[in-house]
Amino acid sequence: MSAAAHAEPKTALTRAVQALVLVALFGLLYAATRLVPELESHAGTIGAVGFLLLTGTLASELVDIIGLPHLTGYLLAGIVAGPHVLHLIDHHTVSQLTTVNALALALIAMEGGAELKIDGLRKGLRSLGWATLLQSLAVPMVMTGVVIACKPLIPFLRPLSTSALVGVGLLWGTLAISRSPSATLGILAQTRATGPVASSTLTFVMTSDIVVVVLMAAALMITRPMIDPGSSFSLRDLQTLGHELLGSVALGTTLGLVLAAYMRLVGKQLILVFLALGFGLSEMLGYLRFDALLTFMVAGFVVQNLSKQGPRFIKSIGETGSVVYVVFFATAGADLDVPLLRALWPVALLLCGSRALVTWIMARLASRIAGDPPVVRRWAWAGLVSQAGLALGISGVVERAFPSFGSGFRALAIATVAINEMVGPVLFKMALDRSGETSTAPRPSISSLEAAHEMVEAAHARADEAHKKESA
Amino acid sequence: MNAIWVLMGLLGLSYIGSLLVGGRAIRGMGLPSGAEYVVLGFLLGPTGLGLLDRATLSTFEPFAHVALGWLMFVMGVTFGMTGDRRVRTTRLIGGLFISLASGVAVFAAAWFFLAWRSPLSPIDRLLAAGGIGAAGAETTRYAVRWVATRHNAQGPVSDLVNEIAESDDIVPILAVAFLFALHPPAVAFHLPTVGWMGITAGLGLFLGGMAALLLGRTFRLAETWGVLLGMSLLAVGIAERLGLSSISALFVMGVTLSAFSPHRRELRRILAPTEHAVMLPALLLAGAYTDFGIAKYLPYLIATAIGARVLAKGLLGLGILGIAPVARRAGPRLGLGLLSAGALAMSIGLAFTLRFPGPVGGLVLASAAAITLFGELVGPASLRTALTRAGETSEDPPAPQPAPPPPTVADENGIVT
Repeated sequence: MSAAAHAEPKTALTRAVQALVLVALFGLLYAATRLVPELESHAGTIGAVGFLLLTGTLASELVDIIGLPHLTGYLLAGIVAGPHVLHLIDHHTVSQLTTVNALALALIAMEGGAELKIDGLRKGLRSLGWATLLQSLAVPMVMTGVVIACKPLIPFLRPLSTSALVGVGLLWGTLAISRSPSATLGILAQTRATGPVASSTLTFVMTSDIVVVVLMAAALMITRPMIDPGSSFSLRDLQTLGHELLGSVALGTTLGLVLAAYMRLVGKQLILVFLALGFGLSEMLGYLRFDALLTFMVAGFVVQNLSKQGPRFIKSIGETGSVVYVVFFATAGADLDVPLLRALWPVALLLCGSRALVTWIMARLASRIAGDPPVVRRWAWAGLVSQAGLALGISGVVERAFPSFGSGFRALAIATVAINEMVGPVLFKMALDRSGETSTAPRPSISSLEAAHEMVEAAHARADEAHKKESA
Repeated sequence: MNAIWVLMGLLGLSYIGSLLVGGRAIRGMGLPSGAEYVVLGFLLGPTGLGLLDRATLSTFEPFAHVALGWLMFVMGVTFGMTGDRRVRTTRLIGGLFISLASGVAVFAAAWFFLAWRSPLSPIDRLLAAGGIGAAGAETTRYAVRWVATRHNAQGPVSDLVNEIAESDDIVPILAVAFLFALHPPAVAFHLPTVGWMGITAGLGLFLGGMAALLLGRTFRLAETWGVLLGMSLLAVGIAERLGLSSISALFVMGVTLSAFSPHRRELRRILAPTEHAVMLPALLLAGAYTDFGIAKYLPYLIATAIGARVLAKGLLGLGILGIAPVARRAGPRLGLGLLSAGALAMSIGLAFTLRFPGPVGGLVLASAAAITLFGELVGPASLRTALTRAGETSEDPPAPQPAPPPPTVADENGIVT
């Protein structure tokens, strides 16, 4: 019997039950937080993880009804429960929860790297090359112009000289080409999409991370004398970057080979191995000043392309990640600065709109030059709108490098990332649905597992019976 | 020691624990329920070699809460079951009575001793004696399973002991809920102790019911883990926020889920392998928190508690021989075979230490550790003697089983192949 036969459709009753439980859980935590209000302790953090995991999962099921991605559900659950709306989860707890980011980013990077296959890269090299070139050149240039044009709308730009303004524009332009591997993988995990749009987006987003890191170092080097006339042009940033990139690739390759060997020789308890890597190795990488995202991405790439363990590796990460991603995105939602977004939304919306427009134009142009299939020409841009952790990380670097306007820059970056974080996944899922790449096959349910076990038990019983007959 | 290294060590222990579940290593190494990890934790801890200082330990409090909660949740889901079979009602009642009688005996002995020798206030005395009584109530199922596996024990006496061990957890768990409720949170309204105890059980019932409701619908496997983990963490968080017993709430949640979920069998299957993976790090942490120097009178308190426990279990063993004719062949050492204690006793001790840091928690944890170590050393050996006398053990390797057909699995699309 096929387990698919056990898969029940999600009826209105199922959705009603999920909505009911969601409301009940909000009510329960609301009552608990009002009963014992302020609590900056581990109990609050533990409860918050459980709450975000549950409500994120349930909200994702409910937004699925109107075709929105699960990721939006996770974010919404976090926003509503977070410190700016219902205040069920306070700022302290949100900051405590960000420790899960190290694990989530390690899993995301390894999964992203493992999804990159040499054959696919070779086939799509021309397309990838044109897309990277045009997006990396045109988006920063256009966005520099937009930032300069927006000077009257952005308070921290008003006192700057023209050269400093151009410098800030260049930094913003570099920030604008960062994408979100986590959102891309989150949507791909949900839709299980396969096809040219999914593969070209994934390849571009994962490789663009390296491009962004390099361009950011270059941008900092160029803009420093423009913004701060007292400072001189220095190649030190590039030297540091070279050390970081080479070290990360070397360590990632070694890690990938070790992981592949472990999977082949032992192959057990991969969840614990991932936990150790996510928390332990991330800590070590921070100490060595290597790039964790690149290291884990290379490791995933090595496992996929230099061993036969790729499919199993991706499956294991998916099993672990399915829980971790919910908490990761729901925490991102809780961390969203709603008052700041409310204050800056007009200019943030303008910047997001401009970025999306130029991204769309360049994606179409690159696809046309590279001779991509029509479906890619039409939809490849949609996966490039999301922004998340990397963009925020870059804004943090700018804040530290230029304290005079850094806080304003970061605030604006947070507001735009918030919009892109909400809109981007919706666009990407819509693109995958419309291009027909979203998988429609049912997922294994707990019922299918029971059916499988029943079949194993029946087979065991038959084998026992046969054995008894033979002995007799 | 750096917290990350400690975390790596705990993950390493989880790894070993999960390998032990496979059963390949269980025959050759270790005490029946891993009590050597308690000793290891004690040696590494602040009162041992000092490799784990108190500050580092405090960073692992969240882990300890979660580990204890998860252990109790799994115990709740598997409560009253031996494999896929329910424990017979008479034996369930017998198991409850034995744990109640043992717990009361240990509590009474500890209470009188503390009243005589300790400077504790009446409420602290009640808490400490109650905690020690709760820790001394159970017969750990792990030791019974270990003896049965290691010595190929099969027969009516093995079944009886196994069923008693599988059904005696609820008494100490409810006792802990009551004791924790004696110290309610500072809230605007007054609620009697029984009310707070009801809230503890109600929280478990509510979240267990919600989990059953959700898992009764079409939930995917990944989401099943999300629901189980989420409900457990939320229960731990809320119970701790209110100052109630999270281990009791989680146990009730597990029992409720098992009772109401149509997928109870499958849930037991997916949850059981996680038990050892969580238990060993929890035992190590419990060992690290243990401080045998917390009071001068502690050795005498431990001796009193253990003495009362040996007496109670011995008498109860004789009672079993009188009531159950099938057990008579096992002889009088059957009662001592019920002395094994382990994960539950240490969990109760650790929960008390986390909730009542200071003399109360310290006395309960140290007593629980001593009860566990004594029980581990005496219990399995006595049980083996009793089962051998009953003619139910065999040192021969088990008969080879016919090779089963290749396992049937559901692929990523949910199709069974």
